[in-house]
Amino acid sequence: MMETDGYKRIGLGVSLVWLFFCLFPLYFVAVTAFKPPIAVSQGPTYFPFVDFEPTLQAFRDAFSGLRGDFYGPIMSSIMVATTATALSVFLGTMAAYALVRFEFRVKLLSGLIFAVIAIGGFTVLSEVYEWTVPTALATVLVVALVVSVSANRLPLPGPVLGNRDVTFWFVSQRIFPPIVSAFALFLLYAEVGRAGLTLLDTFGGLVLCYTAFGLPFSVWLMRDFLETVPIEVEEAALVDDISRVRIFFQIVLPMARPGLIATSMIVLAFIWNEFLFALLLTSGEWQTLPILISGQNSSRGDEWWAISVAALIAIVPMVIVATILGRMMRSGLLSGSIK
Amino acid sequence: MHQTAGRGDAIKHVFMWPAFLIVLVVTLFPLIYALVVSFQAIRIVPPLPPRFVGVENYADILSSARFWGSMWTTSVIVFVSVALQFVIGFALALALHHNVPGANLYRVTFLLPMFLAPVCVALIARMIFHPYLGPVNDAMSGMGFGNIPFLTEPNLAVAVLITVEVWQWTPFVTLLMLAGLQSLPDEVFEAAKVDNIPAWRRFRDITFPMLLPLSVAVIFIRLIEGFKVIDTVFVLTGGGPGTATETLTLFAYNEGFKKFNLGYTSALSFTFLIIVIIVGTAYLAAAQRVMRRYA
Repeated sequence: MMETDGYKRIGLGVSLVWLFFCLFPLYFVAVTAFKPPIAVSQGPTYFPFVDFEPTLQAFRDAFSGLRGDFYGPIMSSIMVATTATALSVFLGTMAAYALVRFEFRVKLLSGLIFAVIAIGGFTVLSEVYEWTVPTALATVLVVALVVSVSANRLPLPGPVLGNRDVTFWFVSQRIFPPIVSAFALFLLYAEVGRAGLTLLDTFGGLVLCYTAFGLPFSVWLMRDFLETVPIEVEEAALVDDISRVRIFFQIVLPMARPGLIATSMIVLAFIWNEFLFALLLTSGEWQTLPILISGQNSSRGDEWWAISVAALIAIVPMVIVATILGRMMRSGLLSGSIK
Repeated sequence: MHQTAGRGDAIKHVFMWPAFLIVLVVTLFPLIYALVVSFQAIRIVPPLPPRFVGVENYADILSSARFWGSMWTTSVIVFVSVALQFVIGFALALALHHNVPGANLYRVTFLLPMFLAPVCVALIARMIFHPYLGPVNDAMSGMGFGNIPFLTEPNLAVAVLITVEVWQWTPFVTLLMLAGLQSLPDEVFEAAKVDNIPAWRRFRDITFPMLLPLSVAVIFIRLIEGFKVIDTVFVLTGGGPGTATETLTLFAYNEGFKKFNLGYTSALSFTFLIIVIIVGTAYLAAAQRVMRRYA
């Protein structure tokens, strides 16, 4: 018993030290947002009313538009993040449902056929025939898809990939360093723009990119949640000849609600905070909050009160998200998703 | 019966294809484009029309000191910070699992950092580590050291970056390890307690081996994610002083957006991809050996 007490004390000590380490930076940014300039420029101050007289000036400055446009990035962050999250969780749940309830058999050889046609075809079309990049890619995509899907029906030799491999294919998109596809996507958007459809610095372009960005998470998490949804209700509905689409919308989605909320929160956090794609794909009108914030440094210098207000605006929604998830975690909801 | 099964089966494509197509078009197809470009000499400013140059770009990268520098910086940041994240995160998960006083309060707080935008975290860290106006130097001068240039001295800057990474991502380890601890069967621990096996040995012989597969997965995710780091560095040091804290992603970004040297940048990102695959495979192979020793 003595011994366990010792460990308990160490555990408590570690937790308290970490709690301070964790909270101090957040406390500091929160109080700095209320500081008058003098409380910053004369060295660090910590306690409102004791060290300095708190003021709302920094917030007023930010929202009056005096110090550059704040509303624009806030609005574009909200619109892009919510739309892309909704789309990717919805499409991801559909794919996850298919992965849980149906069997997929993809022959490895047809996957290879796809890769060969896609890479080889694009090289030939763009190098030899000098097609523009978007036309060449679109053509190659359609041809490669049609050929490999029909090839999959043939009795090809070689290993057959199942549902686990399809899930892994989705998740493996996260292994790629994002700079690989971000830079290429930027070039591609620029090329498509030259062909007439503007995707750079537009709502549509960002939403498309972030939907794809969120899909690996949605598919992976929702597959785990949907596996815990009992199949009996659906079977009963199938016997009654109710269509799969209606079953999905009227039975599966309502039953998976906690999972949907948790997944949306996680995907929303990732998209809300995403920096690299926004940096490459936006230049003005649709700039998101992280881009605005990363620019604060050079544009504001030591005006910490203004910087802190910007940081707080990006932080507060995520504090809410973390609190909701923390609650769900306590009720044991998330422990199912790690298996 | 057979007919209904067949009809019911076709609907699966309706569910699967939208997600599949979007991922294919947005993440995989640009890769094909980048792969082809990486074998070309092509630049936008000043314009240089595409010309096939074989592996020249890759050869240039492998002989560039700046590339190896960024490779070294990234590896130091990733390996040191992931090691710290795992040790601290696991310790915190154990503390929470054994219900230290106030566990409920910690839970949400410990989760928080990983949900904040890395650019915000970096901005806050910039204030906190400021040489004259920051609280850390305030505390330091209280102890007799004054005005340490945390962000402009190369080794210190790397240390600050590691600190920021640990601050932000230890919660991820805590979250998953805690979930893992909660899923362990209670009976084993009850039996061990009855047999009077000391707590330290219970951890070493039961908890740790049983959580080994999860630990391997958690560290793997953190390694892969860590190698991508750009936002923190971008805001905190901008890669400076000089290129002392430049990470791989930042290097690729600088090459791409300051010089618009497309062929070189694409080759750089593919080299990066290959490195990640090598590191990931080597890690998993090593992890397999460790796991076999415990099994």
